[in-house]
Formats: sequence, structure tokens, C-alpha cells
Amino acid sequence: MGWWQQLQHFWQRRQHLNRGWRDHRYIALDVETSGLDARRDQVLAIGWIEVTPPVMDFQHGQYFVTQSAPELKQSPVVHGLVRRDFASAEAPEAALRALAEVLEGAVLVCHHVQFDWQFLQRFARQYKVRLRPLAKFDTLTFEARRLRLQQHHIARGSLTLKACRSRFGLPDYQAHHAFSDAIACGELFLAQAYQYAGRTNAPLKELLK
Amino acid sequence: MQPDFSELNRFLLDCPPFDLLSDDKRQWVAAQVKAVYLNEHNVDELFKNYSPALYIVRSGAFDLLAPDGDLIERLESHDLFGFPSLLSGRDVVNKLSVVEDGIVYIISAEVFDHLRQHARPFERYFIHAHEQRLLSRPGQTSPNFAAKKAGAAPAGVEGLGDGASLQRLVGEVVARQAVWLSSTATIQQAAQRMRDEKISSLLVVDDGRLVGILTDRDLRNRVVAQGLDPSLHVNAVMTQAPATIAAKQSLLDALTLMTQHNIHHIPVVDENDQPVGMLTLSDLIRQQKSEPVMLISALNRAKTRDELVHEARQIPEYIHSFAQRVNHAAAVGRLLASLTDTMTRKLIDLYEQNHGVAPAAYVWLAFGSQGREDQTLSSDQDNGLLLANDLNEKQLQWFAGLGEFVCEGLAACGIPKCPGNIMASNPDCRRTRAGWLERFRSWTEAPTPKALMYCQIFFDSRNVRGNKRLYQAYREDVAKLGRSEIFLGNLARLQANVQVPLGLFNRFRGTESGKDSDLIDIKRYGLALINDIVRLYSLHAGLTEPRTLTRLALLSNSQLLSKSDNQALAEAWQFFTQLRLQHQLAVWGTERPKNALDPDQLSTLSRRQLKSAFRIIKDCQQGVSLKFGRIG
Repeated sequence: MGWWQQLQHFWQRRQHLNRGWRDHRYIALDVETSGLDARRDQVLAIGWIEVTPPVMDFQHGQYFVTQSAPELKQSPVVHGLVRRDFASAEAPEAALRALAEVLEGAVLVCHHVQFDWQFLQRFARQYKVRLRPLAKFDTLTFEARRLRLQQHHIARGSLTLKACRSRFGLPDYQAHHAFSDAIACGELFLAQAYQYAGRTNAPLKELLK
Repeated sequence: MQPDFSELNRFLLDCPPFDLLSDDKRQWVAAQVKAVYLNEHNVDELFKNYSPALYIVRSGAFDLLAPDGDLIERLESHDLFGFPSLLSGRDVVNKLSVVEDGIVYIISAEVFDHLRQHARPFERYFIHAHEQRLLSRPGQTSPNFAAKKAGAAPAGVEGLGDGASLQRLVGEVVARQAVWLSSTATIQQAAQRMRDEKISSLLVVDDGRLVGILTDRDLRNRVVAQGLDPSLHVNAVMTQAPATIAAKQSLLDALTLMTQHNIHHIPVVDENDQPVGMLTLSDLIRQQKSEPVMLISALNRAKTRDELVHEARQIPEYIHSFAQRVNHAAAVGRLLASLTDTMTRKLIDLYEQNHGVAPAAYVWLAFGSQGREDQTLSSDQDNGLLLANDLNEKQLQWFAGLGEFVCEGLAACGIPKCPGNIMASNPDCRRTRAGWLERFRSWTEAPTPKALMYCQIFFDSRNVRGNKRLYQAYREDVAKLGRSEIFLGNLARLQANVQVPLGLFNRFRGTESGKDSDLIDIKRYGLALINDIVRLYSLHAGLTEPRTLTRLALLSNSQLLSKSDNQALAEAWQFFTQLRLQHQLAVWGTERPKNALDPDQLSTLSRRQLKSAFRIIKDCQQGVSLKFGRIG
């Protein structure tokens, strides 16, 4: 990419970030992995759902099992995945292409986005797919900052997805599965964003600060 | 790969009417759902951008407001809204306001229409919901009730035919054409006709109107035994103005009527009171070889008090299985009332065997739930005696003994004594017609709240045994007194003071104290209130009928009670009766309260219905205080 293109890209992105947060598309996403180390462990499944505030459309949700023979460090029913699911795994490229397409110009939303992003990036590089979200939003960091601003002591376990959701009165979901966790994360994001921005359509960049 | 919608699917399963859809259809719906995070900042856009649609509350709380700002309903998890516009095609006019942020699922009009077309039960649910104020499903049972039924399958299936057959209509059973004569035919002609037709009874009809019946027994007792001339007219010996039953009523009604009047033949009439046939006890027994009839005849066969008590002890267990088989909880109340009637009459017979027949005309009165025929296994005795005038000391003694014997006997049979001592064993409840009227007058003219509360059950009376004319005269006098406007005004105010257990924003409010504070007494705050409201209207109309549903049917042309309120009250009454029966079956044999239940334990559908039922009562209470409360 030449310097001119880079500059153009930079400007465009700046303009996008200045637009109201409600005018953007978000991809709430969760990956399931075989472990915690992105350098060694594998992505087992990816689930996501598109959020166009204030709506989450279940028709625009996707779920891919990406490994057919996983090395599991945890129990075989990790994240609700069972052997049967792995048997129906699809080619990782298909999943990554679909993801790359929806992420184009959208904001990636995860609970602890660093973690998911590390895995995703390595995974995508492996299959030579480029993921280019407009920005990344971390519901966990956002919540930590919110609590700190309210001068709350942040107790252990108070930043799990479940704990964060319950502070917003969101229901407790039984299933733990990349897709339902993605939905859970998307709902939390909407709750956080509306609480932060209120009636105003605040610029996206403020949400990302 | 298809995303996993198990979370949403689980939620929909618990959210009627989506539980009625097939698994495939429900999965399909789940994949079409849109979820909205609704809060005060975007609530105004919901109807603007996403209507018409069906909305389901997943979390949070929202108030549905009428255009004038009046609260229609507080919506919480599992509540549905938006369907009236979907069905009627009219724009949404109501407004929504946020009490607590949350998630609302949107089912688009296309998806909704598809489901309506392809899933009949789903469609019926909404049509019902739209037409009636009380959400209901035909023959609905709550999940815990259904589970119970399934658990008891072998016995239940076997007995199913029996329970169902009592629900059949009289008209279905009376197959043959009515056999009738005019009242000017001779007795001999009648006897010949009965011989030719091989029947044991005849209808006597003049100008298309039923005027009497003639039975084998009449021919024996009134003709042969009296040595009467068989060339006399039938009208000299027939039973005049007999009890009748409508072809549309159930066999259980017929059975009840027969045991009530101790008769074996009932003329059947159509809607226009035209005689269509005769129903006999043998018709009933042919239909129903089983328990209710058997039980009643077992009670009747008892030769001693001990035998009667022994038979009566089987009743709770029997009712328990009967109740799980019949569709209408009201049938159980009626059966219990007719069993109690039978026991009462049998005890009176037994007393007469030992102390000679009654020395004067009298009526054994049933009050309260026995009178209304909505008795339950935990209902207590409410009865009294209406005596002829000018009885001497010895005669009074006889009736005092009767009251004592019957009430003690009923208690031994398992019907608890009345804590308020409204029983024929109490001298205060053995009165002449004038004596009872004086008693009523003191209540109607100078009522204390407590007296008012008590006196209401006296207005729900029935003649269990005794002189019909005496009872009729008494009942008409009582009806006249009941029309006193001051009295009605007092009753109305008393009723309006009882708050239904819906708190602010239509949330349930417990009615009990102490450890039961989450429970709601559905008898006191549900059934009893409906009975009270309906009684008030029927007092005003001068009705002498004690049964709540029949009262409502008789009130259908009332100027005061609108048709829709009438229907809503009947539905709510049936709902409460059903709910109470299910609850009593569930807590049977435990120490748990018989009439109070925890709304959180109910299925979503029952909870919604319970709210609607309470709301109906609340609305009707307001109507009552507007119409009657101002007077006096």
C-alpha cells in the first residue's frame, strides 16, 4: 500500500469514527479455543451476530466449527462442543472469508477483545485471509473503566460476562456456546452503549476511548 | 453451520403459545427473531420502525399505556404485546414506557402470519386472546396438572370413558321421540299407551306446553291404590309442573337434578321449552355404569349411620381420581354438592326411622358452597332448617334432634362443621319463615360489616329436602328483601373494599401473612369475590337461583351487567374453579394451604390468565360500586 493510500485510509477511518455510534454496524463475536495461548492453542469454533443498534438480527448470525480433530486440554465437552460437532466441521477458509466480509467496515465487539483478536489474527494469517474491522470494542475494558469511574472496587470475578450482564439486569443464559456467548456479548454492548451515550448519537470514537 | 438457538428455543418453550409449535417450526422462528435492547432513549422508535409485529419481553419491564396515558398493563419477562394490531391491521395507538431496560424480541408480521396459517393451535390462541379478555385455550391444563395426568395414565385412561360420559349432553342420550298425551286423555288411555310403547312414563302436553308427567308409580299409588276410576282424566293424577332439564345440559346436571328431587324421570325440553323427550334414571345408568352413580346409590343403600359414614369416607379418594378425568372443574363442585345432598337426605331418613316422620312441614336448607354447588373437599357445612309456623315444644324438640343428628352425621362423613356455626344444629339456624325474614331484615336494614359478610351466604340457598311450597314462599320473600337498595349499597361498598391481589402495575401481591406472604388466596380474593359480585346483580334482579354460572346465564339480558362483563366473569369463575381444583389436588394430603398458592409456581400461561382474571374482578368491582355503591 502506497503512502497516499495509507493517508486516504487514515482519513476515511477518522471520518467514520466521527460518525454517530448508532450508525455503525457491529459484529459481536466469541471464539472457542483449545487453550489460552494463541501461539500454541487452536480456534475450535467461532460464533457471531450482527448488531445494528438497537437491533440484533438472529438471521445475521453465524456459527462455524473450525477444527475437525481438536487437541483438547479441557474436557471433551468444552464450551458445549461435543465430538459430533467436530465431525461436522467446515473448512476454516469458508468461516474466515465469511467473517472477513462482515467485518469489513464494522466494529468488532468481544468480551476481552484482545484474547479473541489474537487468536483470530493468527488463525486468519494461517489461511491468508485479512480481517479488517473498522475498530475493536471491548465490553470487558469498557465495564472496568465504568466501574472505576464510579469508584467501585473491582472484586474478583466481577468482570466476567455473566457478572457484567447481571449489573445491567440482562438475563442469565444457560448455554455456553460461541453463538450464545456472542449474543450475550452483543446485548451487553448495547446496554453499555445506551447507558453511556443516552439519547445522543455520540461519535463512535468516544465509545472507543 | 446453523447457529445454535437453544437458549432462545428454551425461552420460547416456556412462552405460550410458542410451546404449541412443532420443534421444527420453533427452530425456524428462533432464526427469524430480531432482538432489541429497549431503553428510555430508543423506546419511541420501537412501534415507529418495527410495527406491526409481535413483541415478546425477554427481560426488563415496560408499561403499555393507552393513548390517554392510562396504564393498560405492565409487561415483564414472557409477556406478549402488539398482537391486536397484527390481527386487526390497525395502527398501534398504545404507547410504551420503560420501567427497566431490557431485551424485547420482535417477530415480524410475515413470520407471525406464516405461523398462523401453518399452526392451528397457535392461531387459535391469538384469536381467543383477541376476542376474550381472559387468555385461554380450549381444554387447557397447566403443565403440572398434565404431568400428573400422564403419571396416572393406566388408571386414568381406563376410567376416561366414564368421566367423559357424564359430560355428554342430555340431548344426545334422549334418542326416541317424546311420547305424550293431552291432559284430557283418560287414565286408561295413558296406561294402554305406556303398555304399547313399553315405557314407564309419559309426558302430558297441552298446546305444545308441558303440563305434567305420569309414571308407573303414579298409576300404582294414585290410581290403583286409591281405587280411582281409570276413565278419569290424566290431569287428576299426574305430577304437575315437573322439574325439567334442557337438552343442552349435561348428564351430570340431570343426575344432580334427579338426586335433588329424588325422581327417576325428567322431561327434556329444548331452548323454547318445548318437550322433546324423557330422560330416565335407567338411561343414565346405561350411559354411566360407573362411579358417580354408584357412589350416590351406595350412599342411598346405606341402612345405618355407620354404613353411610363408611361409604362417605371413600368420597375424597374417589373425587381425587374423578377430578383428574373431567374437563370441567365445575362438575366436581356439582358432584360434591349432590353427594352432600344425598348424605343429608339419607341422614334425615335415618333420623325419621328412629324418631317418627317429621311432625310438621319443613325445609332442610343448604347455604354457601353447597347451595351454590361449588363445593370442594375442604368446604365446611352451611345449612339450616326452615320450619312451619306455630310448632309446639315437642315438635321443636324433634327438629332440634334432627339438626343435631344430621350435622353430627355430616361431620362424621367428612364434611367439617362450620366455624361460624351456620348449621341446623344451632337454634339460631332453625327458624320459621317469619323468623328467617326477621333475621334477614336485621341484616339488610342495620348491617354491621361482619353481619353483611355472613349474611351473603344465606342468599345462596337451596332446598335439599322438604316442602317445596314452603321453600318457594320463603325464597321469594328473601329475594324481595335482597332488593333493598340500601342493603345492596352496603354490600357494594363492602365488596369494593376487598382489594384484588394485584399491586402497583399489575404485579401479584401476596395476600397471606408470615411465611406464606408470597401466596395468594384464590378463594377469598378470586372465587368469593366473583360470587359476591354476581350475587349482588342477581339480588338486584330478584333471582332465586343460587348457582353462580346459572345466575350469570339468567343475567344475560340484564340492563346493568354488560354482556362482555358477564362473559368475562363466567370465564374468570371457571378459571379460578379449575385452578383451585388443580391446586387442591396437588396439595392433597399435605399441610399446605388449600386455597392459597404461589403464582411463581404456575406456568407462564396460568400466570397470565390469573392476572387477567384478577383484572376482570377489579374492573367489575368498580362497576359494582358505580352502580350500587352510591345508594344509601
